Amino acid sequence: MDCYTANWNPLGDSAFYRKYELYSMDWDLKEELRDCLVAAAPYGGPIALLRNPWRKEKAASVRPVLDIYSASGMPLASLLWKSGPVVSLGWSAEEELLCVQEDGAVLVYGLHGDFRRHFSMGNEVLQNRVLDARIFHTEFGSGVAILTGAHRFTLSANVGDLKLRRMPEVPGLQSAPSCWTVLCQDRVAHILLAVGPDLYLLDHAACSAVTPPGLAPGVSSFLQMAVSFTYRHLALFTDTGYIWMGTASLKEKLCEFNCNIRAPPKQMVCEEIFKIASMAPGALLLEAQKEYEKESQKADEYLREIQELGQLTQAVQQCIEAAGHEHQPDMQKSLLRAASFGKCFLDRFPPDSFVHMCQDLRVLNAVRDYHIGIPLTYSQYKQLTIQVLLDRLVLRRLYPLAIQICEYLRLPEVQGVSRILAHWACYKVQQKDVSDEDVARAINQKLGDTPGVSYSDIAARAYGCGRTELAIKLLEYEPRSGEQVPLLLKMKRSKLALSKAIESGDTDLVFTVLLHLKNELNRGDFFMTLRNQPMALSLYRQFCKHQELETLKDLYNQDDNHQELGSFHIRASYAAEERIEGRVAALQTAADAFYKAKNEFAAKATEDQMRLLRLQRRLEDELGGQFLDLSLHDTVTTLILGGHNKRAEQLARDFRIPDKRLWWLKLTALADLEDWEELEKFSKSKKSPIGYLPFVEICMKQHNKYEAKKYASRVGPEQKVKALLLVGDVAQAADVAIEHRNEAELSLVLSHCTGATDGATADKIQRARAQAQKK
Amino acid sequence: MAAHLSYGRVNLNVLREAVRRELREFLDKCAGSKAIVWDEYLTGPFGLIAQYSLLKEHEVEKMFTLKGNRLPAADVKNIIFFVRPRLELMDIIAENVLSEDRRGPTRDFHILFVPRRSLLCEQRLKDLGVLGSFIHREEYSLDLIPFDGDLLSMESEGAFKECYLEGDQTSLYHAAKGLMTLQALYGTIPQIFGKGECARQVANMMIRMKREFTGSQNSIFPVFDNLLLLDRNVDLLTPLATQLTYEGLIDEIYGIQNSYVKLPPEKFAPKKQGDGGKDLPTEAKKLQLNSAEELYAEIRDKNFNAVGSVLSKKAKIISAAFEERHNAKTVGEIKQFVSQLPHMQAARGSLANRTSIAELIKDVTTSEDFFDKLTVEQEFMSGIDTDKVNNYIEDCIAQKHSLIKVLRLVCLQSVCNSGLKQKVLDYYKREILQTYGYEHILTLHNLEKAGLLKPQTGGRNNYPTIRKTLRLWMDDVNEQNPTDISYVYSGYAPLSVRLAQLLSRPGWRSIEEVLRILPGPHFEERQPLPTGLQKKRQPGENRVTLIFFLGGVTFAEIAALRFLSQLEDGGTEYVIATTKLMNGTSWIEALMEKPF
Repeated sequence: MDCYTANWNPLGDSAFYRKYELYSMDWDLKEELRDCLVAAAPYGGPIALLRNPWRKEKAASVRPVLDIYSASGMPLASLLWKSGPVVSLGWSAEEELLCVQEDGAVLVYGLHGDFRRHFSMGNEVLQNRVLDARIFHTEFGSGVAILTGAHRFTLSANVGDLKLRRMPEVPGLQSAPSCWTVLCQDRVAHILLAVGPDLYLLDHAACSAVTPPGLAPGVSSFLQMAVSFTYRHLALFTDTGYIWMGTASLKEKLCEFNCNIRAPPKQMVCEEIFKIASMAPGALLLEAQKEYEKESQKADEYLREIQELGQLTQAVQQCIEAAGHEHQPDMQKSLLRAASFGKCFLDRFPPDSFVHMCQDLRVLNAVRDYHIGIPLTYSQYKQLTIQVLLDRLVLRRLYPLAIQICEYLRLPEVQGVSRILAHWACYKVQQKDVSDEDVARAINQKLGDTPGVSYSDIAARAYGCGRTELAIKLLEYEPRSGEQVPLLLKMKRSKLALSKAIESGDTDLVFTVLLHLKNELNRGDFFMTLRNQPMALSLYRQFCKHQELETLKDLYNQDDNHQELGSFHIRASYAAEERIEGRVAALQTAADAFYKAKNEFAAKATEDQMRLLRLQRRLEDELGGQFLDLSLHDTVTTLILGGHNKRAEQLARDFRIPDKRLWWLKLTALADLEDWEELEKFSKSKKSPIGYLPFVEICMKQHNKYEAKKYASRVGPEQKVKALLLVGDVAQAADVAIEHRNEAELSLVLSHCTGATDGATADKIQRARAQAQKK
Repeated sequence: MAAHLSYGRVNLNVLREAVRRELREFLDKCAGSKAIVWDEYLTGPFGLIAQYSLLKEHEVEKMFTLKGNRLPAADVKNIIFFVRPRLELMDIIAENVLSEDRRGPTRDFHILFVPRRSLLCEQRLKDLGVLGSFIHREEYSLDLIPFDGDLLSMESEGAFKECYLEGDQTSLYHAAKGLMTLQALYGTIPQIFGKGECARQVANMMIRMKREFTGSQNSIFPVFDNLLLLDRNVDLLTPLATQLTYEGLIDEIYGIQNSYVKLPPEKFAPKKQGDGGKDLPTEAKKLQLNSAEELYAEIRDKNFNAVGSVLSKKAKIISAAFEERHNAKTVGEIKQFVSQLPHMQAARGSLANRTSIAELIKDVTTSEDFFDKLTVEQEFMSGIDTDKVNNYIEDCIAQKHSLIKVLRLVCLQSVCNSGLKQKVLDYYKREILQTYGYEHILTLHNLEKAGLLKPQTGGRNNYPTIRKTLRLWMDDVNEQNPTDISYVYSGYAPLSVRLAQLLSRPGWRSIEEVLRILPGPHFEERQPLPTGLQKKRQPGENRVTLIFFLGGVTFAEIAALRFLSQLEDGGTEYVIATTKLMNGTSWIEALMEKPF
């Protein structure tokens, strides 16, 4: 057994630790590390080295050089530092390298030494220079804290969303603090600093003195301090060689010891030491399995021992877990084999934990590989999540490995393969030495219609790199026009955007492009563009109808659409014009347009309307009353009702009202007036073109049976029965119907035979019917 | 509450629940008390989705109608605008928000676009300087609203005019979106058929949208077998004719809005003796019309002439049931009788309402003018005297009958004659302009643009060919026990429904010639299904066809489709969707233009 734990060293009474070399670094360092600025990213991240950081000579050979290595020492990038002197280096949570310059400018580089952006820590920092800087990580992202030459602190808790906070002054601080660090409590970043024997906590509002509980007396100065990665624990190192460890809230002491070293350590690391659980049952199981492999009966003994203690399940779990924390594949295998062996003797051991551990270890071993160089521990991996690990692989341009992992873990395409392919494509578009065609083709070949891939995102990246043509080519593959169009607009390809919008059928999108185009192009070009796009043109017309009437007219004019122009002016004559002259003028324009449209009917009708308007105006002047906007029919009616029969006649003649309608009109008007005398005169003026039944009907409507009867006798034979029934002469109606030998008429009369008086009539009809049937 | 939606072959309550859920989720996003400011047009359709009680459960305390100036005072945390994406409404909203800002304590403003968020509108809000005032700006994709167990409508009033007159395809886009929503809930529809330009475009958009969603494979077993997209302008004739089913006539005479009808109250006065009818109610009687009422479901699709006998039969059954109480001797029997009373009383109430409505309708249908009008319509549809000026129409104009009635008739004649002779057309137009006013020249232009009114070109009348091939006119119609869809118009079989019927059996290949005469392309598209979702039909199992009328559908057409669904050997059941439930009157009205 001891062969497994040979490299473990005791730490205190109950804990052990081990230290082993992950990689023999591949880098070819010429300088001592202590001459460099070094920053290693947490979670097996990259390492940045800035050589000769303090040299200021102009000579290229001695200029500072920034090197970036993977955790295994594989060179990722190397560049000459051409900017100002760097005070501090650090990695953000997104694995971006933050380089804090003496002047307070922070330069941000990617993993591959690609410059991303820069920002400044403010004027105060610029003036007083940077004395010291720290990069720290919080749950919101990564922050930068600066100590300026004026001994003031400035910090930004999240460089992704830069908000500078200048911390309050520390009273009496004349020189740099002996040590300081950033604490993060209750989601707020604080600064803990030591000035001689005093500790101060700075938050954004105040500076307060603090004392760690249970601090041994006699401390005259704090030389170093360190916080744990989680900001939960704090360690302080004093000039007496004493170390205080406690919670970062400074409320509780955890332990202390004296290491009897007076000189300040170069660096102090505070780790939460991972405790390996008692290996007892698991260890036994491991042993049992080994014996089993040796075909020794000892296997049975060990197994029995565990089973007797009832700890087999626990033993299997321990082996699985332990495997996770091992870095050596051989060791992992042994432990897993043991777990698998133990599992055979258990009835119902859920297989998930075993399977998942196997999967996780395969992934971990793959990324820990020397060539990849991400030495994650199992716990770190679990904290990081697979998604973030994939992101980091993508960041290192390790696309094939990332895809293999996705496929191996069977991640859903949208979260897995598609996402990585999309990243790959975004990288691909930045390869400036490859032609647009080739890049677009390569991307489409690889991505095809993979679900969840956003071609517009890739295109946006291409556009960001100044490759507009490539972006357009890529957008061709984007099926969602809602995504295509805004980007095309941004790239000032409005006309292309327009045709894409039209293709989609989404009218709102078309409108959006149209309004863009309208601002972008001069009017002539805009109209020309519309002309080639009938759908867009119709939509724009709709828009103008409600928003810009004048433009609508121009559009019709451009298209020589005289018919619509005519209608436009007709509308205007009602809506826009108040004065008769204006209305008539609008109508004249309309009529002209209709002539041009070869719509003679509409032109003539419009001219009639002009004539009528003028006439109505004259009637109002001469007779008073309301005539304007009455229809011709109603104008004539109004004249008759007002007793102006002559004028009515004249108007009817002028406008050639057909006889039939004129008769209906007069009949209705005179009946309304109850001018029975005039009505009778009218009925005798000539033979009625509408017959006399309407006369009967209208008299009955006015409840004048007497007058109605006068006309009933004049009704022609076809409608006689109807007329007689209307005036209530059932008997005579029966006679006529019998005479006509018309079955329909007979039934009609019969249905009117109600009450006793009509009894005889009914009989008469029945007899006639019977007779007709005999024949 | 909406149980009737789940009685059909396809459970449309699933859709209703889905849109209700979406609404609740939105309301809950705006935490705290709320006031809703309504685009008035939306209240009707929303009523079919959610009653006030649902809104109240989610802390909606006040409701206002959207109008200019400032909002009425309301002590609420959130003010939510429910609006269609229209620019003119954005102007009003901006006015509201700005005056509210001046008023004092700040509220949270939100905006819910129905059915779609609009960049154009948001740009307008931005230009007016209020876009930033809205915390949530979201869309509520209420495209297809379930009206009944087999009926969906977008209730988009302007759809026909926009599509066919103004070249604005917005409602087609919404229709396609609505169909995508349906497919998300009821599975991919494997086959799409269509006839007409708009149908083609909707199908294209659907195919395109499907490509946009390639990521999410639809794994729902398809409920619909086919989709049939039909342009209204393929069949301009049907809506012009007077519908003769019970529901159709209610709609023709009183107008059904969002499944409600308002009726003159006189006939519904509670009959009390000695009252002398003094206190007649003056407020219109509002009734909801859907299959939730058993009796209504039974009679609504019948020819009106067959309704009377059903009603009297029902009356006899119900009074017989009430007579039962005299036979009830034992306590048990009486108890049983009493337990049935509520149901019987409801049935009696329903019967009374139906009878009253039938009487109201009968007053109209027995009038001489109704008879004359119907005669003319039927003459046109059967091809008699369609090429000369019609006396009845002339008289209607001379007597200044309603313009819509006149236009319906003239258009009907034009459609039944493949356009009118120029002389006849001009005569009608002149008569109309002189009688009703020259401003109606704009309306006439619109009708001509829509193809409802046109001069005959090429001197050829295609209508007889269409009529004969599709058997649109049936002389031997049985109104009581129909054997053919032509019963819904007492002789005329709606062209649109005939197309659906022929598609189902024997297929459109048999009528290629007519399809070529009718406007627009006809087409078929397949949407491949993964093998696991392919349907194996049981022998005798009916197919389900979703038929979508782009530009509106009438109740008579719906009745005809229901008739086909119920045919024992029909083989196809229909679910009907449309941009708008309409009739000839509302249709023409939407096409009319009144400049003042």
